[in-house]
Amino acid sequence: MQFKKIATATIATAGILAMLGACGSGSQGVTDTKKDKGLDVIGTNVKYDPNHLVNEGKPITIDYWTWSDKGVDPVYQLSEDYHKIYPNVTIKIKKQTWDDYWTKLPLQLKGKNGPAVFNIHNSYDSLIRPYAADYDIDQAQLEADYPSSAAHEDANGKVKYIDSVINTGNIYYNKTMWKEAGLTDADIPTTWDQFIDVAKKLTKFDGDKMTQAGFNFNGAYSAIYQGLNYQKGTLLFKDDGKQANYDNDTTKENMQFLKDMYEKDKIGSVNFGNDYSESFGQGQTAMVYAWGWLEGTMKDKYPNVDYGVFATPTFSTDTPFAYDRYNGESTPGVNKNQSKEQQAVAQDFVKYLLANDDYIRQAVKGLNSFPAKANLQNDADILKSPVMKAIQPRVSRLIWPGATPATVESSGKVAFEDATQNGKSIDEAVAEGQKAMDKDMKGSDFVSAESKYEFFSEHK
Amino acid sequence: MKNKDVSARTGRSLLSRIFTLRNMAVTFLVVYFAIFLAYPIYKAFAGSLHNWNPLNETYDWVGFENYKDILTDKLFWTSMGNTAVFLGWSTVFRVVIGLGLALLLSSRLVYAKDTLRGLFYMPTITPLVAVSFVWLWMFDPQFGMIDKVTGLNINWLHDSKWAMPAVIIMTIWKDFGYATVLYLAGLMNLPRDVYEAAEIDGANSVQIFFRITLPLLKSTTLFIVITSMISYLQAYVQFLVMTEGGPGTSTYTISYLIFDQAFNKNNFGVASAQAVVLFIFTAILTLIMFKISGDTEGLA
Repeated sequence: MQFKKIATATIATAGILAMLGACGSGSQGVTDTKKDKGLDVIGTNVKYDPNHLVNEGKPITIDYWTWSDKGVDPVYQLSEDYHKIYPNVTIKIKKQTWDDYWTKLPLQLKGKNGPAVFNIHNSYDSLIRPYAADYDIDQAQLEADYPSSAAHEDANGKVKYIDSVINTGNIYYNKTMWKEAGLTDADIPTTWDQFIDVAKKLTKFDGDKMTQAGFNFNGAYSAIYQGLNYQKGTLLFKDDGKQANYDNDTTKENMQFLKDMYEKDKIGSVNFGNDYSESFGQGQTAMVYAWGWLEGTMKDKYPNVDYGVFATPTFSTDTPFAYDRYNGESTPGVNKNQSKEQQAVAQDFVKYLLANDDYIRQAVKGLNSFPAKANLQNDADILKSPVMKAIQPRVSRLIWPGATPATVESSGKVAFEDATQNGKSIDEAVAEGQKAMDKDMKGSDFVSAESKYEFFSEHK
Repeated sequence: MKNKDVSARTGRSLLSRIFTLRNMAVTFLVVYFAIFLAYPIYKAFAGSLHNWNPLNETYDWVGFENYKDILTDKLFWTSMGNTAVFLGWSTVFRVVIGLGLALLLSSRLVYAKDTLRGLFYMPTITPLVAVSFVWLWMFDPQFGMIDKVTGLNINWLHDSKWAMPAVIIMTIWKDFGYATVLYLAGLMNLPRDVYEAAEIDGANSVQIFFRITLPLLKSTTLFIVITSMISYLQAYVQFLVMTEGGPGTSTYTISYLIFDQAFNKNNFGVASAQAVVLFIFTAILTLIMFKISGDTEGLA
């Protein structure tokens, strides 16, 4: 009886230990001994030769954290491809919700057990920068492949992440409404005056009540005003790059211009379609200004709407200082607090991604964004998409202001609502907006990247 | 051997004296409150004296600078004003509707009382986020139910005149059931003999309500008012979902402002200072309520 009890306890203990061992082991797995993979070197300027051993062929598991799903974040697929080349390397992907991600990631990166590789959104630059390692890639090669990477260089000429794909605003229009109004492709406007004329034809009323908006930017003011200011050559930040440049004549002119669209030209209304994208999807609005993500929303939520895309108009036919602002989706970061072995694998994986056109192609598809990689910017397959076609001719004249603090958008939104809905004068609303931005940016270590723009010297 | 037995017995009794159920329960409660109540309050107060962003480890001493900033900030006072309006109307309607329905349900005029009680209480137990989203759609001027049913043409949540009333309407709808249930419990416990005596004395129903029912329900009313005030001072979820503080800053409340400072702007120092002011304000308001009612024992 006693023997039976001891035997049972021993077997149970051994079983539990075996299970725990299986869960906790980081060194189990396949050993890779084949250095020559028989694969070609990939890449144009940043080159990646897959014919080597990673982690000396010893089994290793690294974590990758992301907030995106498979099909959106290209790292899912590329990590599987990487594992096929290096069977000793397992990249374990952990997905968190957006809010959880930005709370947990910085805390995790502080310690030694944070993920070796992690997805980045540049708006959270200040949170992750202290824990991200410099890319172990030649900067000149990187810039030759990814021209926008120069904007991400720090004072030492190093980068911790760059743009994989970029995006900007375009005008989306409902093709059915366009036809109903008797408009054709020849009516696609290139200037704002032409745009307002077209929008008037697309606006419908039932008595005094608007039933269809020609143009709707409700909820999109902050995105649109920044582009309009750039079109007129006015920067978003002052000369020191640290203070917002909001209270100026250009902002006031543009706010009046947008207000007039609703109040004078009556092509839309602050009371018609509170969310521009939803209103467009519901078939209440003929044209909206939106970034590339709208394609995904339309595909998922409103697949029956027949729509087209054209480039955002400008104030004249002359080439503007910049057509609009752009922002990029970032390449992954490498955790500098991880062990040397983990960091070495992470750096190798990042180089594999950056040299690999498939990574960018998948990002283009998943994120509906334009390739930041130079050799793909004229790619016929990519340019089949109407959004890519609309962005391509403007790409060299798009400016990145840096990972701007949230207040630039949120205080701008408040100022516009104060001027259009709360009865404040434009002067008063803009002055208060500037005050709020100054207050929120006090003590921030943000420095604008506007000075790195190729045509920076042309600004007002 | 005998001594060994005695010491073993003494040891056991000492241990059993220390590890009693009472001591363990008290220790658990003390530790629980120390970790989840005292420490966060201390941390918020300490944080209010610093330029604090825990996400990038900024923690620089600034003294009372954050307090100076918020007390001279127009938005802080706008938010306090909005909070007072929200709190006042929501509390008054919660009490009035709650009491009215409780009286109706306790009268002989209404059938299916259990069903109605359940129906009235349902919004209270529905998650606030879900309710806020439903009302967000209901208030939409193009496809929302409210304008369609009433024939009005109001952009409820995007018009600064109507945004706050719209959120108040939603909050009252969600919360009146709680007051109804508490008042029903209060009404059931009122002494019958007082009513019988009043009827014998010839008191009419209005006199009975104002002279007997309402005074006897004083402690219930006080409880509802104080708990409502505390929860409405902390309200931000409905504002986050329905208005994001807008249009402009017309529906910023103090708790939404704290949320915005901490989680949108990562300015935990200023947010903590605002939270400390809110804490003091809540305490003062509660004390005033006790003083006004003169019934501090009613809640004990």
